[in-house]
Amino acid sequence: MPSSNPLPPKENALFKRILKCYEQKQYKNGLKFAKQILSNPKYTEHGETLAMKGLTLNCLGRKEEAYEHVRRGLRNDLRSHVCWHVYGLLQRSDKKYDEAIKCYRNALKWEKDNIQILRDLSLLQIQMRDLEGYKDTRYQLLMLRPTQRASWIGYAMSFHLLEDYKNALNILETFLDQQQKGSNFDYEHSELLLYQNLVIQESGDLDEALHHLETNQNQIVDKLTFKDNLGQLHLKLKQFDRSSKYFKELVRRNPENTDCYKKLIQAMQITEPKDIVNFYLYYAKKYPRASPPKRLPLNYAEGDQFKTLVDAYMRKALSKGVPPLFVDLSSLYNDKSKVEIIEALLLQYVEALKKVGKYSESEVNNGPKEPASALLWVYFYLAQHYDYLNDSNKALNYIDDAIEHTPTLIELFVTKGRIYKHAGDPQKAYRWLEEAQALDTADRYINSKCAKYMLRADLVKEAEETCAKFTREGVSAMENLNEMQCMWFQTECALAFQRLGKYGEALKKCHEVDRHFSEIIEDQFDFHTYCMRKMTLRSYVGLLRLEDVLRGHPFYFKAARCAIEVYLHLFDEPLKDESAEQDILTENLAPSELKKLRNKQRKAKKKAEQESAQQREAQVKRDQHHKSRQQGDVEADAPQLDELIPDKLARVEDPLEQAIKFLYPLQRLSQNSIETHLMAFEVYYRKKKGLLMVQSLKRALKVDSKHPKLHSCLIRFNRFVAENKSTWDPSVQQVVAKESQPFFNGKDAKTLNKEFLTDHATSLRATLEGARMMYHLDEKCQSQALNLVTNIDNKYQDVNNEICTEILRSLKRGDFGSCDGETEEYVQRCQERFPFSAAYRPPCAADGPISGGGSNHASGNEENCNNSN
Amino acid sequence: MADEEVVNGTEEDLPEKLQKKIAKYDSGAADLERVTDYAEETEITTQDMANAISAIGDRRNKEALEKQAREKELMKVSIKKEDVDLIVQEMEISRTLAERTLREYHGNVVNALIELTN
Repeated sequence: MPSSNPLPPKENALFKRILKCYEQKQYKNGLKFAKQILSNPKYTEHGETLAMKGLTLNCLGRKEEAYEHVRRGLRNDLRSHVCWHVYGLLQRSDKKYDEAIKCYRNALKWEKDNIQILRDLSLLQIQMRDLEGYKDTRYQLLMLRPTQRASWIGYAMSFHLLEDYKNALNILETFLDQQQKGSNFDYEHSELLLYQNLVIQESGDLDEALHHLETNQNQIVDKLTFKDNLGQLHLKLKQFDRSSKYFKELVRRNPENTDCYKKLIQAMQITEPKDIVNFYLYYAKKYPRASPPKRLPLNYAEGDQFKTLVDAYMRKALSKGVPPLFVDLSSLYNDKSKVEIIEALLLQYVEALKKVGKYSESEVNNGPKEPASALLWVYFYLAQHYDYLNDSNKALNYIDDAIEHTPTLIELFVTKGRIYKHAGDPQKAYRWLEEAQALDTADRYINSKCAKYMLRADLVKEAEETCAKFTREGVSAMENLNEMQCMWFQTECALAFQRLGKYGEALKKCHEVDRHFSEIIEDQFDFHTYCMRKMTLRSYVGLLRLEDVLRGHPFYFKAARCAIEVYLHLFDEPLKDESAEQDILTENLAPSELKKLRNKQRKAKKKAEQESAQQREAQVKRDQHHKSRQQGDVEADAPQLDELIPDKLARVEDPLEQAIKFLYPLQRLSQNSIETHLMAFEVYYRKKKGLLMVQSLKRALKVDSKHPKLHSCLIRFNRFVAENKSTWDPSVQQVVAKESQPFFNGKDAKTLNKEFLTDHATSLRATLEGARMMYHLDEKCQSQALNLVTNIDNKYQDVNNEICTEILRSLKRGDFGSCDGETEEYVQRCQERFPFSAAYRPPCAADGPISGGGSNHASGNEENCNNSN
Repeated sequence: MADEEVVNGTEEDLPEKLQKKIAKYDSGAADLERVTDYAEETEITTQDMANAISAIGDRRNKEALEKQAREKELMKVSIKKEDVDLIVQEMEISRTLAERTLREYHGNVVNALIELTN
C-alpha cells in the first residue's frame, strides 16, 4: 500500500479487521475498531481509516456523516488507492455511476493491479453497458487471476455480449478443458454447459449445438431444458422425426403446456386445420384431464364440428361454474360465424334451462337436471357476449336477469360496471364496482378494480381512499403505492389528472412511473456478482437483455404518452402566471366587488394555510416513519431524488425538451407503434425541425401507411415545407425534397386532401382527419367540413361512441372554428344514438378540463358530479 | 466487496410489536439480502493454464491492432465543421455521432442526413 501514512503493526491489524467487518456486514464492530485507531493521538487524521469509517457509516444509513468522513479521509491521503476506492463505492451507492468510475480510475492509478478495484470497475461497466471497457477490465482480471472460475467466465461473457461468438466459445472451451470432470450431479457445471450451448446456438451453428448437447448429455441435469433444446434444434434442422420424439416426451411430462402441443404439431408437419383438430382430439382422449387439447381445437374447427365441440366445452364449464369462460373463448370472436354459433347455442340453453332444466329440450328424459346455477352462468356469459358486440341494451338485460337470479355474486356487478364503461358512462360504471367491492371488502382484486374505475371517473381522492384499505398503515396510500411501484394506479391517476386539467399532478405521476423504470434498471446491479457466482448464466444474459429494452414495456408507453400529450398541451397553451391573472381580474372590477373578492381571497388563503399546516404535520409523521424504517430496513441507501412538485412541473420553460425525454425511449424501443412516430411528429412540428419531421413521417409510413392520423401530419408537413423552404440550408432543402417525394408525388396539400376524402368516404375516422385538414387549409370550407363529420347517420361504416366522442372533442377544441350551433345539433344526434354514453349529456359528467388547471386542490369538479347524480 | 443493505444491532431497541409488523411486511428481505453477501472465490488449478493464457493474450493484441487500423481509416476522411454543425442542429444528436455518420458517408452531408432520417 503506497499510503503516505503507514500504520504500525498493531493499528494495521485493527485496520484489517475493519475491512473484514465491512465485508461481513458487521458494521457496528467495524466502527468500534475504527474508533480504536482514531483515538490514538498520532492517527486521529489517518486518511484510510477515516474513509473506511465513512463507508461503514454509509451502510448504517448515516449518509451525511459518511460523506464528511470519506472526503476528509481522501483529503488527508490523496495518494491512497483505498481512499479513492472508498469514495467510488460511496458514489456508486448513490447511483452516481460516472463519478464512481472516475474514482476507480484514480484508485487504479495508484495501484493498477488491485483485483478488488478492477472487479468493482467491471461491475459498473457492465451496469452502464460499456461493453468494450468491460471486456478490457475482464481481460486484466483474467491475466491477474487465471486460477479463478469467474475470471474466465466473465471474459467469455464480455465477448458473448459483444456478439463475438468465436472468441467467447474459444475461451469457454479452453476453460472447460482445464476443468476436471466433476461429480455426476453438479448443477453449476450443468448450467455452464447449457450456457455454452446457448452461445453456440446464437452463433448460428445448429449442428454443432446439437452435437454439443448430445455429447454432454450425462452432465446436464436440467432435463426439461435439455429436451426442449434438442426438440427445437432438430426442428430447425428439419429432422422432424427426432424432433417430434422429444416433444411427445415433453407433452407427456406436462400435458397442460400449450406450447409443447404447438411445437409437436410443427414437428409432425400437420398443417391442415382438420388434421390439427384430430390431433388434439387424440390427445384429449389420451390425457382426459388436460385442458389444452380441449380448448385448442376450437381455434381450428369449423361449422358443425365447431358446434359440437364448443357445445360440449361450454356445457361443462357452465355446469361447473367457470367465471372466466367468456374471457377464455373471446379470442374466437374474430370469426363471425363462430360468434353466431356460440350465440345460437347460448340462447338455446336459456330456453331449455328455463323450461326443463337441461341444455337442450330434446334431452328431457335422459340423465339428471343441470344445477340451478347453470342458468346464472349462461346469463352471465350472454351479458358479456352482447357487451363485446356493443349491444349495451341486451347486455344490461341479461346481467339484470343474472343479478335477480343470484344477487350476491360479485362478478355480476363487476360485469355490469364494465358494460357501462364500454357504453361510455364511467360514473355509473364505478358505482357498480363500488357495489361489488362492498360485497367482499377483503378481496384485493375487487378493491383494485374498483379504484381503477373510480380513476376512470376522475375520482382520484376516492380511489386513493379505496386503495388505502389495503396499503401499509401509517403512510398515505398514494405514497405507499408509489413505494410499491404500483404503476397501473399511477398511470390511471395521471390520465385522470390530465382529463381534469391538473397538468402538474398528471406530470408528477408520469415522472414517478419513469423513476420506477430507472429503479428497476438500477436493481440489476447486485445480480452482476450474484449470477456469476451462482452460475445462472442463461438467466443472467436474459436479465441483461430484458433491462436493455425495459422501457419498451407497455406500462412505460402509457405513462410516456400521457406525459408527452400534457407537455404538448402546455406548449400550446402555457399556464398563465397566477398573479398576472389576478391583476387583469381586479382591474375591471367595481370597488364593492373588489372588496368581496378580497374577502374571498383572504378566506381562501386562510384555508390554504390550514391545509399546508396539516400537510407539514403529515410530512413530519412521514419522516418519523421513514426514520424508524431506516433503522431496521434494508434500503437505507436509496438516493435522494428531487421532489416532484406539480406546480413546477406544469410551468417548465421547455415543455418540448421535456417531452423529448419521454419520447427517446419510445423511439428506440417502441418503433413498431405508429403512435410513437405521430407523437414525434407533433413535437418536431412545434419545434419546426423539418428533417426530424421527415424522420417521423418516414418511420410512421413504414409502420402503417393507412393510419388516418398520419394524413393530417402529412398535410400539415406539406404546407410547412411550402411556407418555410426558402429559409433552409441548401442541403436540408435537398434532403427534404428528395425524401418527401414519395409522400406527395408532387401534389399540393389541397389536392392530396381531396383525394384522401374520396378514397376514405366510408370511414368516419379518416373523414374526421380529412375534414379537419379541409378547414385548416381553407377556412371558407367550414360548413362543408362540419357537414362531413356531424352527419354521422349515413354512409359511414365505423360509427361508434369512441369516434363520435373524439369528434365532439375536436369540435370543442376549435379544430373547425366557432360552430356552437352545429355542435349542439351534433350532440343531440349522438345522444339519441348512444343513450348510455355520458359524453353527450349536459353539465358535469361530460365536461372537459376545469378552469384554473394545475391547482393543487383535489375538489371542485368531483364533488359537483357526486351531488348532481 | 458487497456493500449496502444493512440490518444489524438496531432492531433490538424496537418494541416487539413493531418488530413483528416489520417482519410481516419485509419477509423476503432476508432472501434479498443474501444476494449481496460476500463470498470468497474458489480457486482452480491446472497445468496448461499458462499456455492458454498467453494464447488469449496474443489473439487480443492482434484484434486490437486491426481495430486501430479501421479507426485510422475512418479518421482519414476529411469533414467540414459547418456540416457537422448543421447535422447537430437539425437532427439534435451528439457531436460524436454526427461526425461519425458524416465520416462513414465520406463527408457527403446530404447522404449522411438521409441516413439519419431513416
